[in-house]
Amino acid sequence: MIIAKQLQRSFKRPGASRLKAKSEQYVHAVKSVSFSAQDGRITGLLGPNGAGKSTTLRMLATLIKPESGSATIDGHNVATDVLQVRNHLGFMPHNAGIYPRLTARENIHYYARLCGLDRKNSKQRTGELIEQLEMLTFADRRANGFSQGQKTKVALARALVHRPQTIMLDEPTNGLDVMATRGLREIIRNLAVQGHCILFSSHIMQEVAALCDHIAIITDGTVVMEDSLNGILQHTGQHDLEDAFVHATQSLSNEGIAGDNE
Amino acid sequence: MSMFIVMFKEIIDNLRDRQTVFYALLFGPVLLPLLIGGSLVASFKQMTIDFDEVTTLSVVNANKAPTLIEFLYSKNIDTKEAPENVELSVREGESLVVLEISDDYAHALRNGTPAPLTLHVNNSDKDSTKAARRINAVLNVYEQTISSLRLQHRGIDPTTFDSLNIIQNDVSNEGANGQLLASILPFLFIMSMVMGGFYLAIDATAGERERQSLEPLLSLPLSRTSVVMGKYAATVCFVLLSSVLTAISIYTLFRFFPMEIMGGQVRFDGPSVTRAFLLASPLIPFISAMLITISAITRSTKQAQTYLGILMVIPMAPFFLLQFFNIRSSTASMPLPMLSQYQLLESAVLGDTIPWLHVVLSVTGTLIATAILLFVAAKLYQREKLLD
Repeated sequence: MIIAKQLQRSFKRPGASRLKAKSEQYVHAVKSVSFSAQDGRITGLLGPNGAGKSTTLRMLATLIKPESGSATIDGHNVATDVLQVRNHLGFMPHNAGIYPRLTARENIHYYARLCGLDRKNSKQRTGELIEQLEMLTFADRRANGFSQGQKTKVALARALVHRPQTIMLDEPTNGLDVMATRGLREIIRNLAVQGHCILFSSHIMQEVAALCDHIAIITDGTVVMEDSLNGILQHTGQHDLEDAFVHATQSLSNEGIAGDNE
Repeated sequence: MSMFIVMFKEIIDNLRDRQTVFYALLFGPVLLPLLIGGSLVASFKQMTIDFDEVTTLSVVNANKAPTLIEFLYSKNIDTKEAPENVELSVREGESLVVLEISDDYAHALRNGTPAPLTLHVNNSDKDSTKAARRINAVLNVYEQTISSLRLQHRGIDPTTFDSLNIIQNDVSNEGANGQLLASILPFLFIMSMVMGGFYLAIDATAGERERQSLEPLLSLPLSRTSVVMGKYAATVCFVLLSSVLTAISIYTLFRFFPMEIMGGQVRFDGPSVTRAFLLASPLIPFISAMLITISAITRSTKQAQTYLGILMVIPMAPFFLLQFFNIRSSTASMPLPMLSQYQLLESAVLGDTIPWLHVVLSVTGTLIATAILLFVAAKLYQREKLLD
């Protein structure tokens, strides 16, 4: 389970002059992100490119620290309880990032060992995942010439290797063909059925609509709405998620203008 | 524990990379010693004349000077009839040099006037020049013998004409050749260490950032320090392997080099090379730390190669420094990594005694520098910017 409260994070603008005002030196990548993702559910973090999805996931994955706000993964604080969070979390960043000179099996085995499994258990767990994710045909080939779908499977297997309760996937369907996307959706659904908490980030409406039980809409570093698909449609009075998304993001910018006028 | 898992993975991963393996196992340990050592020995051979070696000289009019021919024979120079066109034959390289005895040689010699001899030489050909130097040297001796005989014949002490008696007393332990060769040894060791770890260090740090495999790695339940130390340990293994191979190849290669032309004292026997390797060994952790730290700053393998390419000047700097300025080994130069090893390794193969204080200072200085670099590397890995 993930609970994020008022997460905030800014970055120094590359090449920003120190002479400029502080607000101009920094980019506010994440301004106010609050949402929750329950166990046994697929939660979608939906937002356009540059909305702050990846930064949010990185904060949750303890890779960067939030400036303010807090978040917990299965009850462990991401800012203070780093190792416990990592133990409970499987994170698949948006680039597969697998080692091309290692085989699929070696890639997974390496992560298993790093997660503290001994040699025997690592081997066993790697075998399990290879079977579970249907990777037998390419498991012992070097990752060099893998297709995007194969790479994604290896990366997903690595994220699952230490049996984390919570799983975060950053735009996992990027670059996948229809069949691979379908296969991946199936895997993600199964994981949710097994009781895992799944956080799934994407900028593709149809994908989120098809897969997610719960949706948090993020734009310009802020989560503007969080509900089930039906809840969001009802709340915005729209018929599909795309219109609802536009409505939700516009209401934010209207509020912003109203705020400026005050 | 996770440090060793990272280490083994990096080693296996990089053993599958042809470029890394080529530089670590072939370039530094084998090609570099062959190239540098081989060309040095070739040039020494060029400079050194072996007067004991029997050679054959083409002579025109050999029958006019039987005594000279006999003298040449006594100096290991056989003679044969010169070809028809002397100048062409020398220019074309058929004969290295040709000695031409003029028709009135015997007449001039009898009358006590300078007897004309012509030595045909091709100065654009190194072998011809070298052969001419040998003949000239022998002819000089012959000339002096005749001169002193003539003087004695006229009742004059030949030493009257030797106004100065210059004795050059070379107090160095070894010849200049040996000195140069000795300074090559640390250069070879250090270069092969750098080349050995170079590509692994780049691949394990900058390469990992470039492949974007660092982000998932750092989100695993292990500390970043053990990640960077694992990568460091893998680099150490490659550098160690590379330097051991270099020691073996230096030992093997110099078996085939003629020792007498290197100026006596310089030794590349088992104990000397082992001593040199041990004195150089603190550089293994130092150079590895340097490689890891520099490439940890960089974002891409290309950037890392550029930075480390500039850094390659550092292993070469002491070599040139010591060539141009004669810096003596002292307690002040010993704590400096690289410089101290250059001096110590030179002494090791020259057979000089090395004070224990110098060894202790060198090891301590190098290890302290290593610790500082590693601390910096660990700090660099804590930065959030690492994932940008």
